[in-house]
Amino acid sequence: MRICGGAKNKNYGPIQITAEQIVREARELEEIHRHRPPKQKINDGTELGEYRLRKRKEFEDLIRRVGWNVKVWVKYAEWEESQKDFDRARSVWERVLEVDYKNHTLWLKYAEFEMKNRFINHARNVWHRAITLLPRVDQLWYKYIHMENMLGNVVGVRRIFEMWMEWMPERHAWLSYIKFELKYKEIQHARDLFERFVLCHPTVASWIRYAKFEINNGDACSTRNVFERALDKVVAAEDDEEAHKFFVAFADFEASCNETHRAECIYQFALHHHVPKGINC
Amino acid sequence: MSEERDVHPDCRNASNPYHECTDYCFRVIAEAKLRMQLHHQSVAQASGGSRREEAIPNELYPDEGTHDDGPRPEENSDSEPDQPEPAQENMEDGSFPKLSSRQKKWMELRAKMQEAKKRNQIEIANEKKRMEPPTESRGVSKQKWLEDRKKKIGKLLDANGLDMTKAYMLDTQEAAEEKYKKWDKDPAPFGWDVFNQRTLYNAYKKRTKNIEVDVEEYNRMKEADPEFYRDASSLQYGKAPKISEDKIDKMVQELKDRDAKRGSFSRRRKFNDEKDVDSINDRNEHFNKKIERAFGKYTLEIKNNLERGTALPD
Repeated sequence: MRICGGAKNKNYGPIQITAEQIVREARELEEIHRHRPPKQKINDGTELGEYRLRKRKEFEDLIRRVGWNVKVWVKYAEWEESQKDFDRARSVWERVLEVDYKNHTLWLKYAEFEMKNRFINHARNVWHRAITLLPRVDQLWYKYIHMENMLGNVVGVRRIFEMWMEWMPERHAWLSYIKFELKYKEIQHARDLFERFVLCHPTVASWIRYAKFEINNGDACSTRNVFERALDKVVAAEDDEEAHKFFVAFADFEASCNETHRAECIYQFALHHHVPKGINC
Repeated sequence: MSEERDVHPDCRNASNPYHECTDYCFRVIAEAKLRMQLHHQSVAQASGGSRREEAIPNELYPDEGTHDDGPRPEENSDSEPDQPEPAQENMEDGSFPKLSSRQKKWMELRAKMQEAKKRNQIEIANEKKRMEPPTESRGVSKQKWLEDRKKKIGKLLDANGLDMTKAYMLDTQEAAEEKYKKWDKDPAPFGWDVFNQRTLYNAYKKRTKNIEVDVEEYNRMKEADPEFYRDASSLQYGKAPKISEDKIDKMVQELKDRDAKRGSFSRRRKFNDEKDVDSINDRNEHFNKKIERAFGKYTLEIKNNLERGTALPD
C-alpha cells in the first residue's frame, strides 16, 4: 500500500542524524571531488607567451563580467606589473580610472606602481592628476608631499604645500606644513604661515599653538603681541574650556618672563569674564 | 663611553664602571685612611685578638654594589650601625675587657659620626634642589629627559636580564593601571574610521621622521635657484630638478618596507576546528563568518531555540 500524504509510522527512527553531520559530510565530499588543474612548469618563450595569453584572457573576461568591482582591476594591473609589462599595466590603470576616478585607493595604488618602478615623472603626473581631481582627500596630498620629500625636492614640496593651503585644509595639514618649514629652520616663513593659519582656523587652539611657537622660536615681544591679539577672539569665543587653557598659557608665559603683576591681572581678567573650573594661581 | 672617569683608585667603588668619585667619595677615602691608621695603632697596643679586630675592617667596608651616590650614604650608614653591634658583642665576649670598652666607645663615636654625615648629605641634596632654578618642563630638555629615562630603564633591564622590548615588565600594577586608563580615554580607531584626520597625520609624521634633513644641501639649493620660495601659481611647475639615484633607491626601499608592514595590519585569527561545521565550501565559510559578525548577536536566541528543538516561553 502506498504511503501518500503522510507516513503511518510516526515513531522516531533508531538512528538520528544532525544537520551539522549532513553539512560536514557535504564538505568532505567536496574535498574529495575537487580537481585542480595540473601544475605546469614554463620552459621557454612560447610557453610563457601562451601562459600570458591565457591569463590575459581570463582577466579581460573577469573585468567584462564584474567591471564595477575594483578588486579585479587591481589584480589585473598588479599581474601585469609582475610580468614587467609596464605599458600594459599603465593602460589597465587608465582604463580603471575611466570607470571610477573617485576612488582614492586606485590613485594611490597607481602612483605607488609608478614610484616602485622608478618612473618618477610618471608618478608626478599621476599625483598631480589625483590632487586636482580629489583635492579633499588628504592622503593623496600627504603621499605626494612625502614622495617629493624623500627625493629631496624641497622646492617641489613647498609648491605642493602652497597648492594645498589654497584649499584651506584641516588643522593637521597646516601643522604638517609648519613642521616642514621648521625642520629647515625657516622661522620667518613659519611665522607667516601661522598668521595664515589663525586666519583660516580662528579657534582658540590655533592661537595657543601660535603662541607656543613664538615662545619656542621667538622673543618675548612677539609672543606678547600674539597673546594680546588673541585676547579679543578668546573673549568673544563661547568655549570655556579652551579659554581656560588660553588664560593659563598666557599667565604661565608672563610668569616665566617674571612679570607676576601682569600674570595676576590676567587671572583677574579671566575670573571676571569666565567661570573657571579650578584655576590655580 | 670613552670619556675619562674621575675615579680615585682607592675608592671602594672603583670597580663599578658607572661610578664617578665625588666629594663624598674623597671624604670616605680620607676617613678610611684615618681609620687604618687608628686601627694599626690599636692593633699595636692590643696584645691579641687580632682576628676579631680584623673582622671589624671587613665589616666596615660594606658591599660594593652598583648603586648611585645617593642611596649609598644611607646604605652604608644603615649597615654600619648594625655591624658594629655584633662586633661589639664579639668584643664583649672576648677575653680583653679593657680593649672592648675602648673599642666600644670608638664604635659608638663612629656610629654617631656616620649618622651625622648621612643627615648632612640629605640636607645638602635638598638645599641644592631648592637653590637651583627649576628645570624646564618641556621643550629643549625633553630629549635629554627621555634619554636619561631610557638609560635608567636600560640599566634596570640589564640588571634583571631583560630585553628592551620587555620594558613593560618593570611597571608596577598601579603604573600599569594608569596606562590602561590613559589608553581607554583615547581608543585606537577601528572600522571605517581607521583613516581619519588624526591617524593620517600621525602616519605622515612617522614616515617623515626617517628623512634626514640636510641643511647644507638645502642652503646650496637655495643659492642655486633664484625662485626658491615659489608659491602655488609659479610657472616653473613642469621643471623638475635632477634627482640622484640613491634618493630614488631610498624611496623605493621605503615603499617596499611599507608594503611589507601592510601585511601585519590585521592579524591572522586562530582556526577553531572544534567549532560546528556549518558551511559546505570555503566561500560559504567566509560568507558565514561575515554574516555571523553582522547578525550574530541578534540571532543567538533563535539559534539556541533551534538547537534545543523548542523555544523557551519568554
